[in-house]
Amino acid sequence: MSGPGVDSAKTDGGLPPLMPDLFESLAGPGRYGLVGSRCRVCGCRCFPFASHCPKCQVGMDREVVGTRGKIYSYTVVRTKAPFGLPEPYAVGYVDLVESSLRVFGLLDPATIGSLEVGMPVEVTVMPLGVDKEGRRCLRPVFRAWTGMRERSIP
Amino acid sequence: MIAGAGNTPFFRHPDRTVLSLAREAGAKALADAGLAPADIGMGFFANALSGKLFGDLTVGQNAFAEMGMPRIPVVNVENACASGSSAVHLACMAIRAGEVECAMVIGAEKMCVPQIGLLSSGDSELDTLLGLVAPASFALRARRHMAEFGTTLEQLAMVTVKSRRHSALNSNAMFRTPVTVEQVLASPMVADPLTRFQSCPNADGASAVIVCSGKVGRRIGTRVAVRASVLASGNYDNPQDLARWRTDYDGISRAYEMAGIGPEELDVVECHDAFSISEILHYEALRLCPPGGGGELLTRGATSLGGRIPVNVSGGLLSRGHPVGATGVEQVVELTRQLRGDAGSRQVDGARVALAHCMGGDRAADTKSMTAIVLAT
Repeated sequence: MSGPGVDSAKTDGGLPPLMPDLFESLAGPGRYGLVGSRCRVCGCRCFPFASHCPKCQVGMDREVVGTRGKIYSYTVVRTKAPFGLPEPYAVGYVDLVESSLRVFGLLDPATIGSLEVGMPVEVTVMPLGVDKEGRRCLRPVFRAWTGMRERSIP
Repeated sequence: MIAGAGNTPFFRHPDRTVLSLAREAGAKALADAGLAPADIGMGFFANALSGKLFGDLTVGQNAFAEMGMPRIPVVNVENACASGSSAVHLACMAIRAGEVECAMVIGAEKMCVPQIGLLSSGDSELDTLLGLVAPASFALRARRHMAEFGTTLEQLAMVTVKSRRHSALNSNAMFRTPVTVEQVLASPMVADPLTRFQSCPNADGASAVIVCSGKVGRRIGTRVAVRASVLASGNYDNPQDLARWRTDYDGISRAYEMAGIGPEELDVVECHDAFSISEILHYEALRLCPPGGGGELLTRGATSLGGRIPVNVSGGLLSRGHPVGATGVEQVVELTRQLRGDAGSRQVDGARVALAHCMGGDRAADTKSMTAIVLAT
C-alpha cells in the first residue's frame, strides 16, 4: 500500500521513509500527518496502521490520525544512539489533537533544552538515522508548533 | 510450598557459561531442600537472552540433563525481565494442578558480554525504530510523575541510596558500596532525569527454587507457602497513564484478592526496580501509599530495613544486578530466606507475609508481563 505521502516524501531529500505508509504530506507547505487506522465497527483508532481492530477483529480503514498535539512526557536519551540517530536525541509521548491517541515519537533535535510537558507540537518529517537495513531514511518528528503555519493557510 | 532455594553471586562471570551458573544454583536448591534429583517431577528454565547473544535455544533441557534430571518434562520460559517469575508461576500451577509433587525452577542469564547492546522490546517494533530504548521508557514515566505529583530528582536518587544501604548487607549483590544523593545525581545522565546510578546493571547469575506440594512440604518441614501467584499481560489501551500503571495496579489487586490480604499485611517486598522511578511507581501500585505518594513514602524511611514495609532489602535490581532470566526467581529466593528468618544482617524482623513483584517487556506504553507472588509462613 503506497499512499500519497510515500511518493511526496521521496521528494524530500530523495530519501525513503523509515517504513511505508507511516506518514503522508498534506495540503499546505511542510504539513504532514501520521497515518494510522480506524475501526469500521467501534471507531477506535490505531497508530501505526493496523489491518485489524484489536478489539473487534474486523478490518480497519487507513486514516490520518494526527498532525498536531501536546507533549505528554519527554526525555533526552544520552546512551549510544540506535539506528544512527543523533546523540543525544529526544523522544516523547504526544497527545494528538485530532484522535486523542497518545503516541510515541522523536522530538525535533533543535528543541532539546526547551522541551516542556504540555508544549504544542506538530508532525514533520526529517532525515534522521537509518532504517533496519542501514539506509538513511526519513522519520516522523514532532517539532514545536507556533500556530503561524495554520494561520498562513487560507 | 517453597521446598528449597539456591543462587550464585550476581556479578560478571566471564569464565562461566549459563549452564554452569544454572547447575550451581540448582544444586544449591536441591541441597537446601534436602531432596534428590529423582524427587523433581518437572523443570522450568527461565532465560531471556541466550538465543540472541549466543544462538543457544532450549537451554533448559541441557541444564536439567546435566543435573541428573533427564526424562522429566522441561519448559523453557521467556517473558523478558519477568521470565524468572513467570517460570515460578508455571511451577505453582503445576503443583496446584496436582501434576507433580515437586517442580524445580531455574533462572539463569549471562549478559556481561560485548555483544549485549541496549535492550529494547524488539528490533522490528516501530517504537524501537523511533529510539525507544529501555531507559527512555522509564525516563518518560519519571518525567510525567514529576510533572503530575512534584516528585523530585532527590527522591528519585534516594531510591538508589536506599538500595545500596541494603545491598551492603548482601554478599551476593553486584554493587555494595554506599552512595549519596549527590553522587547518584552526578553520575552520567542516561535518559533525563535518570542517571546511570538509577539504572540497574547487567549481570551474570542464576537462581533456583523448588516448589512442592503440601504433602512433600510437611515431610521435609518447610514453612513457606505460596498464597497467590498472578501472571498478567498488558491491556495496551491507548492512552496509557504513565504515572499510574494500570496493568500494575490490576495485577497486584488480583494477587491481594487471591491471597486474601491487603497491603497492610505485607511485611517485606521485592519489586522490579529496574530504574529508580520504577520502585516509586510500584509502591503506589502496591497501595503502600496513595498515587503520587511514592517519593514521600521513601524519604520517610518506611521502605528501608527497619521501616514499616521494607522493600528490596536484597538491594533489588539496582544494586543486586539484573541477570534478566534469574531476577524473578531470585526475588523468591530472597523472600524465602526472609520468611525462614535466614536472611542474616538484612533480616526483616518477624517477616511472615512477603510479596515478589516483577515486570517484563514493553508494548504500546504498557508492560507485556507482570507477576505478583505472595508467600507466607
